Amino acid sequence: MRLRLDLARASWLALAAVGLTLLVLAAILPGRAVRAEDRITLQGNYFREASTRVLAPTIDIEMDLPDERFTLGGSYLLDAVSSASIAAGAAAVTGGDAVFTELRHQAALRVRSKLDGWTFGGFFRYSSESDYISRAFGLNVSRELFEKSGTLSLAYSGSFDRVLVIRPSFRDTVPWISPSDPAIATCEAEDPTTCGNNLLQSHYFNVGYGHALHRTVLAGLNLEVQYIHGPQENPYRRVDGAFFQAHPYTRRRFAPNAFIRWALPRAEFIVFEQRYRLHVDDWGVLSHTTDTRLHFRIAKILRLRLRYSFYTQKGANFWIPMTERPYPADAELMTSDPKLSAFMTHTPGIQLTVELKPLARFRGLRWLDGAWVQATYNHIFPVTDHPLDYYYGNARLGSLAFSVPF
Amino acid sequence: MSDGLRLPCAGPRAARVPRIAAFVIVIASSASAASCATVKPSEREVLSRPEMDPSSEKHEEEFHAHYESSRQGSFGGHGAAGGGCGCG
Repeated sequence: MRLRLDLARASWLALAAVGLTLLVLAAILPGRAVRAEDRITLQGNYFREASTRVLAPTIDIEMDLPDERFTLGGSYLLDAVSSASIAAGAAAVTGGDAVFTELRHQAALRVRSKLDGWTFGGFFRYSSESDYISRAFGLNVSRELFEKSGTLSLAYSGSFDRVLVIRPSFRDTVPWISPSDPAIATCEAEDPTTCGNNLLQSHYFNVGYGHALHRTVLAGLNLEVQYIHGPQENPYRRVDGAFFQAHPYTRRRFAPNAFIRWALPRAEFIVFEQRYRLHVDDWGVLSHTTDTRLHFRIAKILRLRLRYSFYTQKGANFWIPMTERPYPADAELMTSDPKLSAFMTHTPGIQLTVELKPLARFRGLRWLDGAWVQATYNHIFPVTDHPLDYYYGNARLGSLAFSVPF
Repeated sequence: MSDGLRLPCAGPRAARVPRIAAFVIVIASSASAASCATVKPSEREVLSRPEMDPSSEKHEEEFHAHYESSRQGSFGGHGAAGGGCGCG
């Protein structure tokens, strides 16, 4: 059942959880210097745009048992999402402009093993919210090559999600059956939606190669492929004020990307990083992303990162701009999803990392040896010729992280 | 402009696939040529710094992938292959 809570309450709950964890850490961590790879990381993420706010505290723990031949990790994430309605733009469905806050819980367990240049890994992740349940698992393997100058990696992950829709009048949830579900066309039942399925499957493959080209240059290439099958619409959005969205039932996505990191000669305290990603899919969405970052080591314990990212996207081939609506009466595919329209974004960002090693000299604080605190802020400026379609405004992303070995 | 080289069935989408394949081949060839280079363990001091390690940003990348999935029609770019520094 969808929770209707006050955002402030969720915020205080999240802050209390982080504070309690810090107190427990201070109590259980011994007053000794440690150099192990075992590490706990706490992170508070904040996202805000015109109609939605997200608070997402996370905790991540990783331990070698007893060394890198077997590493166990786990994480927990709480997503507190507040928006003007269940789906922005669907206020009519939810009964006006009341503020809804929904909680999503996500837990993950992962294992990794390093053996003679090989690394094997796997994970399982479970996520639950009132109208969406997700189960995912993944396997990956990587191999060091060329005297450890290169790493070749392969990864697969699959997710099996159940999509539900909330019926405000009945205060319950029912499976969401896509209008594009192929089973509906051949269904002979009185209610054709009984033939449909609300299982959304995703199969993701990644092959990557990273290589140290020089003692100051690291570069890499990745190819990511994803196949999605199942209902892919937001059940709460309406098209032309009346119809359910109908997206294709399958989607094939392809995203080659590359990166390079270069510690500048004679100024090795500055690292230049460039990323590029191309994305194409069989829905007609074509996008380019460039991401330029400069890492400065301002002092021995202080690092600054400046970032600028540019993103441009062509709309899906079944998207019709709002100014050219309505959809034809015989249209089989329809969308009002902003992220399937054409738009660009500019994203500058800044990050500051402080290593806490100097504090470890003081009695009682030796457990801070190897710890760091990191603050990050990014601001997204969208640009579009279709403001009625891509109605997301500016967005702010902030995070504060604290990581400590134990 | 002549259409002499266009195949009868080749539309804009058909032309896009060879372009993507060419992009991947060029990048992969460049990487293969560069992979002959090796960096000795004694020369990896700079490569072992956090700012040169792609995996040092994994928590931030997870968060970015999460919000991008709600605002963009694309995916990927957050699974950069690590390694190369030999320091892991």
